[in-house]
Amino acid sequence: MKVFIDGKPCEAEYGEYILDVAKRNGIHIPTLCHSDALSGIGSCRLCIVEVVEGSRRMVVTSCLYPITREIEVFTSTEKIKKMRKTIIMLLSSRVPQNDYIKRLREEYGVKPTSRFKGDNNEQCILCGLCVKACEAIGTNAIAAVNRGITKKISTPYDEVSEDCIGCGACAQVCPTGAIGMYQEEGKRTIWGRTFELLKCEQCGKYYATREQLKHSIDKLDGKKEMLCDRCKKKAVAASFKTIYEDMNL
Amino acid sequence: MYAPEIKDNLFIAKKIIEKYPREQRYSLAVLQDIQREYSYIPRECLKMISEHLRVPVSKLYSMATFYKALSLVPKGENVITVCDGTACHVRSSMVLIDEIEKCLNIRPGQTTEDGKFSLQTVNCLGSCAIAPVMMVNDKYYGKVTPNTLREILKNYGGVENE
Ligand code: SF4
Ligand code: FES
Repeated sequence: MKVFIDGKPCEAEYGEYILDVAKRNGIHIPTLCHSDALSGIGSCRLCIVEVVEGSRRMVVTSCLYPITREIEVFTSTEKIKKMRKTIIMLLSSRVPQNDYIKRLREEYGVKPTSRFKGDNNEQCILCGLCVKACEAIGTNAIAAVNRGITKKISTPYDEVSEDCIGCGACAQVCPTGAIGMYQEEGKRTIWGRTFELLKCEQCGKYYATREQLKHSIDKLDGKKEMLCDRCKKKAVAASFKTIYEDMNL
Repeated sequence: MYAPEIKDNLFIAKKIIEKYPREQRYSLAVLQDIQREYSYIPRECLKMISEHLRVPVSKLYSMATFYKALSLVPKGENVITVCDGTACHVRSSMVLIDEIEKCLNIRPGQTTEDGKFSLQTVNCLGSCAIAPVMMVNDKYYGKVTPNTLREILKNYGGVENE
């Protein structure tokens, strides 16, 4: 199926999201609550674009809008830019001191507003991507707590969580770097809990927590090798090499 | 903080919880039943529900903190609900709240030391014609003044006879 994004003809599969097609074709759409590895939540609204379908024109969130017809997409019309500015203004009122949002503000020329009083220590925009990540890992240690102005992301009772395995997936996907994860010689601290880190058997680099390893052994492959990502790749590559050698014989 | 003994009562919770099939969609219903029974959601129950319905504690905690009808801290024996909707606010519901603080030493969201009273505000009780309105448990009181308020609290053993 053919779609036009900012005038560029692009191939798309039925049901593919606009954002994915745009990305593949090197067209940039700003996002916050999106991660390629997780299904969309559509909470930040930064990825809005205009879709033209015949005589209809509408604003949609590109990360969640599936392509089902031949449409035309415009990623930065005046209207979209104006709407994005408002979104950025609101986000930056929530997290006035966040570097990432500050950069967005500069990029879009949004002036700081004094209309809302934000918390200078706040870094979280409550997009919920971390919760999604923790859910995908299967640990479900964190969730949205409270509602309205007291809403936040936390562990139950704001206490150290037994379910957390210290994998750091939540911190990794966070678009604003709001989740503090501290690592020093063999220890990692996240959500108020300190985990012991294990070393890769091959290269000796610290790479995962004990709980994380146990979780993946239980849930995933059942293999007990203690290798970091790089050594794992090397091992896989090496096994391919022998396969090819065997075939050559 | 006021915390009633619930240890020996947990089998009631167990009964309530096990009435429901092990499906996530019953989360809210179970939480409501537990709230009704204990007038709050004890920690132990959250864990029991999680195990029974196979729903993560974090998700249940999230729900319990989202809905106003659910409480994680014990509510008092008598729950005083003062309406602070527009009509009641205009007719000085805040004066009632201040008066309650004077009598019982609690602010909205708090429970007295002895566990006898909790105070909460809501945004409309649907009885604006008799504003300011308040409720004690299921009973409505209209056109409340600081004086009648004292009388009402007296009925529930809240204010000593002077
Ligand atoms: S570090 Fe803990 S809270 Fe974060 S994704 Fe991993 S298990 Fe979940
Ligand atoms: S990336 Fe689409 S709504 Fe956040």
